[in-house]
Amino acid sequence: MEFALDLSANKYADVPYEEKERLFNEMKSDERWPHVLYGCYECGICVASCPSARFYDFSPRIIAQAAAREDVDLLYTLMNDSVWDCSQCFSCDRCPRGNSPGQIITVMREVAVRNGLQSAKEALEGYGRIIYKIMSTGTQVSPDMLQPNAFPDWGGHVNEISEHLEVWRKALPPETLHTTETGWKVDEKTLIELYLIWHMTGVMDMIEQIDEGLYMILVDVMEERLEDAGYDVTFD
Amino acid sequence: MTTQTVAIIGGGPAGIEAAKGVAELGFKAILIEKRDRLGGTPDEQKYAALTPDLRDTQTALRELIAPIENHPNVEIMYNTLITDAEGALGDFTLKGVQLGKEVEIKAGAVIIATGFQHFDPGRETQKYGYYEFDDVITLTDAEKMLSEGKFVRPSNGEVPKRVCFIQCVGSRDRRLGNEYCSKVCCGISSKQSIEIKKLIPDCKVFIFYIDMRMYGYWENEIYWKAQEEYKVNYIKGIATEIVRKGDKLLVKGEDTTFRRPMEVEMDVVILAVGMEPSEGTKEMARIFGLKQNKYGFIETIGGPLDTVSTNVPGVFAAGACTGPADLEDSVSAGGLAAVKAMAALRKLEAVTA
Repeated sequence: MEFALDLSANKYADVPYEEKERLFNEMKSDERWPHVLYGCYECGICVASCPSARFYDFSPRIIAQAAAREDVDLLYTLMNDSVWDCSQCFSCDRCPRGNSPGQIITVMREVAVRNGLQSAKEALEGYGRIIYKIMSTGTQVSPDMLQPNAFPDWGGHVNEISEHLEVWRKALPPETLHTTETGWKVDEKTLIELYLIWHMTGVMDMIEQIDEGLYMILVDVMEERLEDAGYDVTFD
Repeated sequence: MTTQTVAIIGGGPAGIEAAKGVAELGFKAILIEKRDRLGGTPDEQKYAALTPDLRDTQTALRELIAPIENHPNVEIMYNTLITDAEGALGDFTLKGVQLGKEVEIKAGAVIIATGFQHFDPGRETQKYGYYEFDDVITLTDAEKMLSEGKFVRPSNGEVPKRVCFIQCVGSRDRRLGNEYCSKVCCGISSKQSIEIKKLIPDCKVFIFYIDMRMYGYWENEIYWKAQEEYKVNYIKGIATEIVRKGDKLLVKGEDTTFRRPMEVEMDVVILAVGMEPSEGTKEMARIFGLKQNKYGFIETIGGPLDTVSTNVPGVFAAGACTGPADLEDSVSAGGLAAVKAMAALRKLEAVTA
């Protein structure tokens, strides 16, 4: 097998050790860390159960082992080059030591995003539209996203549906599904709560690190709605 | 009475426990020790703390020895070396030398508990440079330092920043002829790594291994503890050689987990040397005509169901003279040997009565 993942110790020799250590300390100080990382036997049960490992040079075992060893250089490499191959399905939550490689990866990804690592930007690049949709409307996929040219594999039938989208949607019995721009009708109060959650939990800060354009658009949408609802929230 | 006397050769944990068993069950025990004190290898090699419970070795040994020291049924012969033996079950005569004086000991049964010696890391190969580099030491050298409450680089007395263990030195090696696992070294290395981290919290400690063999409670009590609480780095891969780099040691190996060759600098390298039969064990096998296995350990004849009987009726063997053994094994076998020896003599008495 050809290895795509370069684990050599000097892969990111240009990044100062202190910077890698700072990022590692951010992972380690996450309150989940001691509950998702114990020690690693190298047994490979996580890799055996991992769907991504079937298709990519990706190994939750290597991630758990690097974390257990507190290998600062290698964790930096993995945070850049590997954690994005995980599908976050948590099939690996069967470790006899109680590790959760998937959740170790969750923490590592969050650190990568919070610190605006290039790899995080690249990994999330294709998701801008979905992030915008879910964060601004609270629903992920809306009927009007189903453009015929976007889904050629769906066949001619999709043309017919997209031409009369509103009619098709109105044919659905629940009134809350009579929407085209959102997956379902989202209550105003729900939206306000969502925006407050994105703001208060630091999600907006993460978005700012990753995609400033997207951040600015979201801020516009959110500030206006929050102000109308009587909340005095300022995004910095 | 000869048929109610058991001679025990070797005053280590197995021999002490055997003597205690014999005495407390009502026969006479003659405990023969070549040194001037009891305790065996843990005492002689100045072990710091015992594996797996990290108890202070001297405290634990005193506890083990105390019941036999003034026991009316126990006679301890210090400074005594057995040189010859004759007789059979019920009537053995052991000849020996005690401080230059010839002695003769009569016993109905004999328990051999002459133990092991540590593998000499310079015996076959110098790849790890044990006799070349001051900072390449063995588990026993490390124990000695730890028992004095310190851990430093022998070359300059400085506190080390990076220490590694190399496992299976002298064990599990067809080339050396020692194909067996020495059973205790994984536990002892892990135990020492904890002790080193306790003394020097910011020291990086690595254990290079083939398999970690931490059976039973050693698993969670030492292995997990070292890895999880003390962040000891367990790296699957055995070093191929050690070379000097400035005043450091460069350890070359493979980090198999991360599928890459590895060259790491260390301040101290500890070789996890395994067990071989002691000279005394080989000598007793010869004197009593006991079968030895290909490695020189005394062969017991009952497989897993009888770990102390030998090919010679009335002669039993206990502890590390029969193969790699930890303290639990040795003490258990010592007690069993006492029971088997007395049972053999009781049966003999019943037949002759």
